[in-house]
Amino acid sequence: MPDPVQSQKEMLTELSPMEHLLLQHEVEQFLYKEADLLDRRLYQDWLNLLTDDIYYWMPIRRTTTGRNTDSEFTKMGDMAFFDDNKDFLEMRIKKISAGNAWSEDPPSRTRHFVSNVKITSVTDTEITLDLNFHLYRTRLDSVEDSWLGRREDKLRRVDGQLMLAQRYIFLEQTLILAQNMSSIF
Amino acid sequence: MRNKLIANDSWYNVETGLLDRRIFSDPDLYQEELKNIFARAWNFICHDSQIPEAGDYFRSYIGEDEVIAVRDRKQQVQVLLNSCSHRGNTVCRADQGNTRSFFCSYHGWNYDLDGTLLAIPGYEDFYRSDIDKTEWGLQKAAKVSNYKGFVFATLDEDAPSLEAYLGWVGRLGIDQIAFRGDIEVVDGIQKNRVQCNWKIAVDNLFDWYHPKVSHGSAMDIGIATNADMHPMNQMVILGEYGHAIGGPGLSEESQLKIVKEHGHKKPTSAYDRKEYTDIWRATDQARETLGPVGVRSRGHPNIFPNFWITLGGTQACLRIPKGPLETELWWFTFVDKSIPPEARREFVRGVSHIFGPAGLLEQDDGENWAHSTRASIGTLTGARPAVISMGQGHDQVVEDPSGQSHINTVVNEHGQRWTYRSWQEWMKADSWDSLMRNHSKAPEGKI
Repeated sequence: MPDPVQSQKEMLTELSPMEHLLLQHEVEQFLYKEADLLDRRLYQDWLNLLTDDIYYWMPIRRTTTGRNTDSEFTKMGDMAFFDDNKDFLEMRIKKISAGNAWSEDPPSRTRHFVSNVKITSVTDTEITLDLNFHLYRTRLDSVEDSWLGRREDKLRRVDGQLMLAQRYIFLEQTLILAQNMSSIF
Repeated sequence: MRNKLIANDSWYNVETGLLDRRIFSDPDLYQEELKNIFARAWNFICHDSQIPEAGDYFRSYIGEDEVIAVRDRKQQVQVLLNSCSHRGNTVCRADQGNTRSFFCSYHGWNYDLDGTLLAIPGYEDFYRSDIDKTEWGLQKAAKVSNYKGFVFATLDEDAPSLEAYLGWVGRLGIDQIAFRGDIEVVDGIQKNRVQCNWKIAVDNLFDWYHPKVSHGSAMDIGIATNADMHPMNQMVILGEYGHAIGGPGLSEESQLKIVKEHGHKKPTSAYDRKEYTDIWRATDQARETLGPVGVRSRGHPNIFPNFWITLGGTQACLRIPKGPLETELWWFTFVDKSIPPEARREFVRGVSHIFGPAGLLEQDDGENWAHSTRASIGTLTGARPAVISMGQGHDQVVEDPSGQSHINTVVNEHGQRWTYRSWQEWMKADSWDSLMRNHSKAPEGKI
């Protein structure tokens, strides 16, 4: 067993340019695969990418003056749109798949995009990312929602495979312009 | 257009329980609602705890009038119209925060926290000192009042006092939250927009018929059960001016059993519905505050016109009209300051899983409301009246020695009928004076 303190050692600056490039490629491929599973509604496969201790959180944003931007987002523990652990994410998926979840039946059509992927931290087990996303949803004839924002994802290497261990979602919208957020971000 | 609607200059037929659907989309009626309902009523603005310090403000709406609730230097809560006296521009763009004054970004007129106009750029050079600054402060709500920390405002100076307006039913509604003691709003107001008429959203809060179907998927996964909805044990309480409470109601025996099980304990563990509904209500203090009938009500209060308090009094949702076809839902979450941090954490997490745009119950409401609203536009679908006659004439108002008259029944549409009946009375009244003279008193006998 590696020493836990040692295992959390920041190694980003120690990566060679080639190692960084390969890691960048690997995490991007992971993100694309994950997005694809959601867009193809393979929710169970998506759940399999999550660590058991995942924390999935979307705080509430509000318009503040330039002087008050430190309170632009709610803090962890205060109100949020998503404040989920693995059990609750499983419930969300169970609900979407229930056949009588009317917000998603007929199913919405989604397209997940990620870009501007920056590796911000690397330890021997975890990679922290800062990235931009765009989630487009349309349903029925004319419902159209577009959510953009920034994410802080944490990936963990488990038995050689990357898994999602944390997702913080920072939306650009303050007032949510959609009738609901029944999609997975 | 009124003569095209149901009959006798009415939109809602009190005898048949039929409602003209066009009230959900008619643009002229909507303009009348802004004037006759929202500008006249006492509107919930915010809770005291959201603006504790001088200069703290929270931006909200009364109908389509934008307002700022702000604590002034004398610690008084002011409700100011967010519109510069010069050209009408907003003087506050942030949702909340703290400020020393409200400065107009157009020409720089600057207003004090109580709305007083402090400065006009070019007062001497351009205006040649020929304008009376005392006349051009920000407009204010006609009256601002506070019931147990809940700040309300009205734009109508002829409105009765807030307490009189709420009556015992409206007060009981707010007491569902307030009786817990020292409560505060948890930081973060969830806001989203639904393409529905605001009245459809209000109608739904009394609707204990829809959960089994609309929220069937949430029930299937265990968020709630149909038994939790108590379809065969419902209690409805109707109050003057349109306030009402509808939903599950416990029998005396069930309430006594809860008192026996939990009496005199304060909830301490993680959030669950039992903790937040039953245990709180097991105390003598709860019975004293809520009354012998109120303590047994597990229904949803609506403070007319648009302030819904949820089951167990943990959250409240303000339904803000944005044109006839659009409504904003604003969720306020209330917590007792004294509960342990872990319990607070669990509680906050729990409520975000139920309501709000990502909540597993509320997710499935918006589309139903939007499509019901759209139907009111069609030539044939709009002309067909909405049926809100469920249980009409089959129930009895029970008098109680405490004065808390109520209806014990099964799933029903009494709350909706009362809302539309009251709505119609508000719409037909041309002033507070005529509304006071012509509104329905709480019903008695067969209903």
